[in-house]
Amino acid sequence: MRFTALATASSLALAACAGAAIGQEEGAAPPITEFPRDQTLILQNPEPPATNPPNFNIWVAGNGAGWSTGLHQLVMDTLWFIDPDEGLDGPLYNQLAAETWQYNDDFTEMTVDLREGIYWSDGEEFTAEDVVFTVETQMETPGMTWSAAFSDVVETVEAVDDYTVRFTLQEPNSRFHALFSVRWNGAWIMPEHVFSEVEDVMAFQFNPPVGLGPYTLHSFDPNGYWYAWEKREDWDRTALAEWGEPGPQYVIYRSIPTPDNRLIEMANGNLDVIHDLTPEATFSIIEDRETARGWFPGFPYAHPDPTLPMVIFNTQRAPFDDRRVRWALALMLDARAISMASYRGAATLSAIAMPPTGTHPDDYHAPMQDWLIDYELDLGNGETIQPYDPSIGSQIAEMVRPQFGEDVPTEEAAIQRAFGFGWWRQDLEAAATLLEAAGFTEGRGGWMTPEGEPFEFEVNTFTDGVINRMGTMIAQQWTQAGIEVTPVADPQIFASTLPLGDYDVATAWSIETWGGDPDLSYFLDSWHSDFVVEPGERQPARNWQRWSSPALDGIIEEVRTTEFTDPRNLELGRDFVRLMVDEMPVIPMMAYNVFSVYDTEYWEGFPTAEERPYANIVNNWANSKYIFTQLRPAGQTEGD
Amino acid sequence: MLTTIRDLFRYNIEFRIGSILVTVIVLYSGLSFFSPYAPEQIYVVIPDQPPSLTYWFGTNSRGQDLFWNLSFAFRNTLVFGLIVAVLSRVISIVVGMTAGYMGGMTDRVLMFFNDIFVALPIFPILILFYFVLRNDLDTYTLALIMACLGWAFDARLIRSVALGLRHREFTRQATFAGMGPVRIMVEEHLPYVMPIIFSTAMANMIWSIGFEVTLGVLGFTNLNIPTIGTTLYWANSHSAMLVGTWWWIMIPVILIILTFLGLFLLAVSINEHIDPRSRLRRMGGAE
Amino acid sequence: MRSYAFFALKRLIQLAVVVFAGTSAAFLVAHFSPISPVETIIGRVSGQSSFSPAAIESLRATLTELFGFDEPLWQQYLNFWSRFIRGDLGPSLIAFPTPAMELVMRALPWTVGLLTVAIVLAWLLGNILGGLAGYYQNSRLLKGFGVIAIGIQPIPYYITAFLMVVLFGYIWPVMPISGGFAMEIRPAWTLDFILTVLWHALLPAASLVLAGIGTWFLGMRALVSNIVTEDYVTYAELAGVRRGTIVGGYVIRNALVPQLTALAMALGGIFSGTIITEQVFSYPGLGTLLIRAVNGGDSGLVLAVSCVAVIAVAAAIFVIDLLHPLLDPRVKVG
Repeated sequence: MRFTALATASSLALAACAGAAIGQEEGAAPPITEFPRDQTLILQNPEPPATNPPNFNIWVAGNGAGWSTGLHQLVMDTLWFIDPDEGLDGPLYNQLAAETWQYNDDFTEMTVDLREGIYWSDGEEFTAEDVVFTVETQMETPGMTWSAAFSDVVETVEAVDDYTVRFTLQEPNSRFHALFSVRWNGAWIMPEHVFSEVEDVMAFQFNPPVGLGPYTLHSFDPNGYWYAWEKREDWDRTALAEWGEPGPQYVIYRSIPTPDNRLIEMANGNLDVIHDLTPEATFSIIEDRETARGWFPGFPYAHPDPTLPMVIFNTQRAPFDDRRVRWALALMLDARAISMASYRGAATLSAIAMPPTGTHPDDYHAPMQDWLIDYELDLGNGETIQPYDPSIGSQIAEMVRPQFGEDVPTEEAAIQRAFGFGWWRQDLEAAATLLEAAGFTEGRGGWMTPEGEPFEFEVNTFTDGVINRMGTMIAQQWTQAGIEVTPVADPQIFASTLPLGDYDVATAWSIETWGGDPDLSYFLDSWHSDFVVEPGERQPARNWQRWSSPALDGIIEEVRTTEFTDPRNLELGRDFVRLMVDEMPVIPMMAYNVFSVYDTEYWEGFPTAEERPYANIVNNWANSKYIFTQLRPAGQTEGD
Repeated sequence: MLTTIRDLFRYNIEFRIGSILVTVIVLYSGLSFFSPYAPEQIYVVIPDQPPSLTYWFGTNSRGQDLFWNLSFAFRNTLVFGLIVAVLSRVISIVVGMTAGYMGGMTDRVLMFFNDIFVALPIFPILILFYFVLRNDLDTYTLALIMACLGWAFDARLIRSVALGLRHREFTRQATFAGMGPVRIMVEEHLPYVMPIIFSTAMANMIWSIGFEVTLGVLGFTNLNIPTIGTTLYWANSHSAMLVGTWWWIMIPVILIILTFLGLFLLAVSINEHIDPRSRLRRMGGAE
Repeated sequence: MRSYAFFALKRLIQLAVVVFAGTSAAFLVAHFSPISPVETIIGRVSGQSSFSPAAIESLRATLTELFGFDEPLWQQYLNFWSRFIRGDLGPSLIAFPTPAMELVMRALPWTVGLLTVAIVLAWLLGNILGGLAGYYQNSRLLKGFGVIAIGIQPIPYYITAFLMVVLFGYIWPVMPISGGFAMEIRPAWTLDFILTVLWHALLPAASLVLAGIGTWFLGMRALVSNIVTEDYVTYAELAGVRRGTIVGGYVIRNALVPQLTALAMALGGIFSGTIITEQVFSYPGLGTLLIRAVNGGDSGLVLAVSCVAVIAVAAAIFVIDLLHPLLDPRVKVG
């Protein structure tokens, strides 16, 4: 009897719970919708399930709205996009803007001509008023995503006419347009006609979102695991239409926190694009599944994002303020072992402070190869060495060839693109000479600091993935060279450790570039000494190493007064690279290779490294929206 | 004592198997002191090698020899589980039996604190300790924290048994015979509670190791220390199960099953030894 | 009857005090977290565009004031209680200004639904089989169960769950491995929706039952084999009482008392037990919410989840305490 009662009670409880779960849903959508597989593209959203699923107000900081749920790829839009790869028609897209930015002579004014005939998804026309509203609202309301960024530089913004906006800036700034240029994301334009009706912009949920992109919200999981979007009937009234009609009728972004489940879902045909996998799982699914592939057709498969994983020194702490110590630590590393340990060899190494991706190898790595080979490092005792080894890439290629065979490229040019142009040769003797010059002594138990203490420190690194493996291996190599180094898996590395300077050495990145353009302002401007704070205070992104020098300030200041498209920027960029080699405030390691895997069973037309590198396959980038215009159901030819 | 063990070993097959299993596992954990590799080093052997004569347990994707790496993991995990079990047993026996036997005000006060400990949200507390201590959160610290959190559940169980015993005839007789409460608890009640203590000790070890694994799998632990939890964490972050390096997961699981099988058989046979009536019954059943 | 009411009242006061102490502990835990939600949010917002130190300072000031962090801790504690009494646990900080309770209530039904059914099922099956195994000690079938239970029990739950995903999602892909319901079906009181919820809950529930059943089985078997040697059982057997009556009426009933206490605790513990289930099966619920709250330094949300947990456990203990004298007449009320 008692058992029966318990069973009844618990099933009643279950029913009540189900009722509560249903009660939250508005129930406007029909009970069952079909997502025909040949009309639906399913992608993985790397964000964890949204904390606040019904919130789409992307302009408010910390309201729990998801960003890469499809919201910023499919619905949001802004003036320009800069592609990290080659782009469909060059890396620079004039999106909502009709043409590129126009500055006055002293860069205190920027004028933008807007595209005409673009409509919001609720039928309202897009005009200059929307742009003005976006900037003014965020300047008036602190705590919004771009409030601080606008308040810092904008004096006034005005609509000259319906399709022209003029910004007046507080100070000369030749890179103001960067705020509206999407690299991953950018300042998205708000619908004035929606938000002007809203009393409290901060609390507004913006559900359903009204956007300028070719898709609208179809439905979403009340628990935040997935978002489904449907193509607008009037997709041809959006800016994206210039590059073609988006292929899929429905696009679904799914949050799948466990990498293994991503692999399983793709193997079962329930997922077309995986944002990121472990290297091992990538090798496995590409081998097992005919239709699955990575960015490169063979090894190393992964897409190199224009982000540079590196060793970051806290240069405000001794002894990392001493370039001899930093160089000594660099020379203790064996890049081959680090590449094998982190990426199983699938890393694209870079000896210089520039991600070896997009157009950068042509602009920097290839032209600077001879300079690097000839580079001489002064060891402090009158000796010099030439530390650069241009053969590291091909050495790694040979190391992985037994396992991956024909998938490993053989030509030197292809090896350089895939494995890197070279790196610093491990040279423990030279490292020892440098450390001794800096006052260190080598005892029986290892290296001692000038103060007579054992030289020991921690390396903060990611909690998992390739960066964790890299950090663990680097710590181990230093330990083997006689320095007591412990790796620390740090879940808060970007949230607080790096900004607050609460570390000695870290593996992360402080260099992210456009990828498709040699201009470095995207990260470099924030490296100016004006931005470097006192120890203990919060360092603004991205100069986590807190390093500054008059020479660096000189370069940054000249960039600020040089037009974005001016070839002089490339010269300044190379000056920056040479300065970084001399000073070594960070040890550049490799491109951030993302193991995106895509499946061509249902959809074709994805970008590829070898034939059509028109976009970044890494699909949480808002720039990935151009991919949709190229997709066609599998089995159909272009003309269908 | 020694003769008892010898007799048990000779006549009780469960005790025999159990003690052999536990000895083997303990010896294996002890081998970690002779490991040729430091436990935190990676890429010291060829990665992804299946079990073979060279690598008995295979090698993992981090380039570690699993035979040696798991010996560290088992040592740390077993020491951890034992510390938690012993400490929390002591607390729960004292609290549970006192509350059950004394009753009244003592019972209410003890159970009040007990209930607070039962109601404490353990998981957020553990994660908080991790965030505050980070790499200082070693096996012993975690064991201490877990022991302080893990006694209340069983103290209640023991109390409810003791509560039943209190009203039994022999308790009254013992009281009339002039036995003091401590003596009654230790001499008269403890044998009744012992089976529960052994079985809850097992359950407690499974519980605490389960928590260790949960924290490990989620990464809320010092990942440099090899334990069962961190072993699974690293296996998971290299997709071990799906890419075919199954030995990375299956071998520790098999070892853990053998460990607990051994412990269980020991607990059962010792329980029978302590409780003469079930031994008699067993002999009767065998007739 | 009056004495029972008095007993219940005393237990109720005890419940209130436990809830007070437990939530206060949760408050302190949440507030001593070294992770600051303000810094976390600044990190996310300023990560993609260039912010000057001055701009960051003004953003920090705005957020600190917004979250009420500029007040001293005791003031925040008082505020917490004045809100708590009104059933309001304040805003979540990683989904500001959504009330933390709203997020909890969104996730709660999934967790409670899945875990309650799985735990009760495991408890029932484990105790029935364990009780029989303890009484009929020579049954080969039940001995076999015992061996399986001992073998399964120590397997880390993560492995059990993950193996089920691999078996039924990959090697023999017949079951859904993620989500609470199918994407094609809208949440509504329809047969389709109820079926899809059950279908998606099957695998996670099975993994929980599999992982939980062994402990109950072994515990019950130990308890029963202890009780069968008691005099009253022997008397009953000698007196010719039907075996079924002895097992059900005397043996299992008496052994159930401690097992019921344990059930209450297990039900209370679902809030920390659900995390791995949710991770492995991408299942919605409180565990994921808790992890995100902790990682984001969202003291409001950690507190809300913890308070729900504290209240649930305390309430379960309360109910069991009330039932205790009814089940076991030997326990005196008072």
